[in-house]
Amino acid sequence: MKQIALYGKGGIGKSTTSANLSAALSEQGLDVLQIGCDPKRDSTRMLMKGRLIPTVMDLVRERGDDRSLTLEDVVFRGYHGVRCVEAGGPEPGVGCAGRGIIATFQILERLGALRADVVVYDVLGDVVCGGFAMPMREGYAEEVYLVTSGELMSLYAANNICKAISRLSSRARSRCRLGGVICNAKNLPREEDLVAEFAGRIGSSMIQFIPRDQVVQSAELNKKTVVEFAPSSDQAAVYRQLARKIMENRRLDVPVPLEIEELEALAYGYSE
Amino acid sequence: MATPNDDGCTLTGALSVTTEVARCVTIIHGPAGCAHHNFSLLHALHASRDFAVPPPVLSTDMTEKEVIFGGEQMLEEAIFRAVEKGPDLVCVLSTCVAAVIGDDVGAVCRVPSLVPVVHVPTAGFLGGGFLAGHIQALISLSRFAGRCEQVPSVNLIGEKTLEYEVEEHYREVVRLLTLLGAPVNVRFVCGATLDGIRRLGRASLNILRDPSMRPVGDHLYRELGIPYIDSFPLGLEGTLRFLERAGRHLSIDPSAAVAAEEALQKEMIGTFAPLRRKRVTFSTAPKAPTTEYASRFGYELAEMLELEVREGGKPVPLPDPFPVGTSGIRRLLHRWRRKCHA
Repeated sequence: MKQIALYGKGGIGKSTTSANLSAALSEQGLDVLQIGCDPKRDSTRMLMKGRLIPTVMDLVRERGDDRSLTLEDVVFRGYHGVRCVEAGGPEPGVGCAGRGIIATFQILERLGALRADVVVYDVLGDVVCGGFAMPMREGYAEEVYLVTSGELMSLYAANNICKAISRLSSRARSRCRLGGVICNAKNLPREEDLVAEFAGRIGSSMIQFIPRDQVVQSAELNKKTVVEFAPSSDQAAVYRQLARKIMENRRLDVPVPLEIEELEALAYGYSE
Repeated sequence: MATPNDDGCTLTGALSVTTEVARCVTIIHGPAGCAHHNFSLLHALHASRDFAVPPPVLSTDMTEKEVIFGGEQMLEEAIFRAVEKGPDLVCVLSTCVAAVIGDDVGAVCRVPSLVPVVHVPTAGFLGGGFLAGHIQALISLSRFAGRCEQVPSVNLIGEKTLEYEVEEHYREVVRLLTLLGAPVNVRFVCGATLDGIRRLGRASLNILRDPSMRPVGDHLYRELGIPYIDSFPLGLEGTLRFLERAGRHLSIDPSAAVAAEEALQKEMIGTFAPLRRKRVTFSTAPKAPTTEYASRFGYELAEMLELEVREGGKPVPLPDPFPVGTSGIRRLLHRWRRKCHA
């Protein structure tokens, strides 16, 4: 079983990338489980024809107790048999979403839900607290993929997540490593080179460059992944390539986060 | 690193205040355990003071579900249930968990209600310990008091409600004030009522239990314009000076009271003649700050009784807190006499 987690700045395209990756993996004949770890709960929407599935936390809230939950209550089958789970969480501005992620993982463990050829964890933008580092902990994702564009703020977030990975990977028995950097392009000049250099500087590599393409928008408006909506498009081919590379990837690194000045100088060097 | 001796929890300190107020329901917003271990302590101490009925304390019984989704709604429900019991007052004490997840306890308490609802912020992890909770609760409750015409009288501020000799200390202060002809207006907070707290402003002098209560004394001075003396009387000389200071504040000539008390002290010391010239050593709890302060009073007594204080003497206790007034010293000397078999 392979467990991977996608982290990156909010709005960078983690959910789009995760959903397309899961779709492409399933087309390889793999049993895929995608777990959305964000109270916004829209990670798996494109795999579910636009449906917002009930979240684990919704069910806990409604029933007042998680003991009665079953696998069927929380796991939903989407495109090409990809199984989808949304952790969910509290309403914005109240409670503790991080604790919600921890509780969700405990429930999924108890239900024996975390079994598949590939488990894809799609995690909220920044690792703001221990709860959102849960997917990196022992027994869960062993490979983290950072999703970033060439924008400074996006690289900054990716660099911060490296801090969490390197901290967690220093623990005894921890097997969490950085699998690579995925560039989800914003169409900036020399963006591919910048992200590739960033990946190299933190001691990793850019595993995939995903160009910006209008078809992503079109697919989303049609409530589908690109892989489902435009299976013969170039963009779908890119996601399939990403899926293959991740399955073949043997390079796992403990990243070395950059100092802020170093990161700014790097981005500045590509700005002309 | 802190040891269990150092500080305790702000929650316990605040609870020692709010549970003293008559017809006040205290809600602890947090997991049941926070309420339970504090309540057990109170219950045991109250039982030892022969209080048959434990004070009304409710817990919101926060669980993981409320941690994740927020606990404000359950707090609203708990306040509703508390108000239904028809108390004069509801106090809401917060806990670590409520503060970590960011429940806005203050805002929930500000929702208009049939009885006043007071929020006392008591998340222990924010630091401060028992004393900070004690102070915070007194300051929070003092909001019911307003400025009014003062009459020559005294408020007793910050008595340590969990102290064993709290009533003995109180009676001694009353005895001394009676020598001056000054009445007690309100005890804040031993056995207080909401009406009593509202009348705090009538006193012309606040007497603090000990100097740790200065933040409360300062607050009441700012809000109500009442000056304070920062400690109950300690030691023989200290008790006489206390009468003088209190008299000055109350515009009462203390000379008759001081003379009477001095005579009483002489007579009292006389009854301990069998202790004279004994060889003793002071035994104190192993807490450094106490030793110095209590030993001052210890040496005062040693001088009076011509005791020889040195290693190898009979160990005699110097308790913390030091007993209040002349009566306190009489009780202490009884203990010393037993220790010396005199």
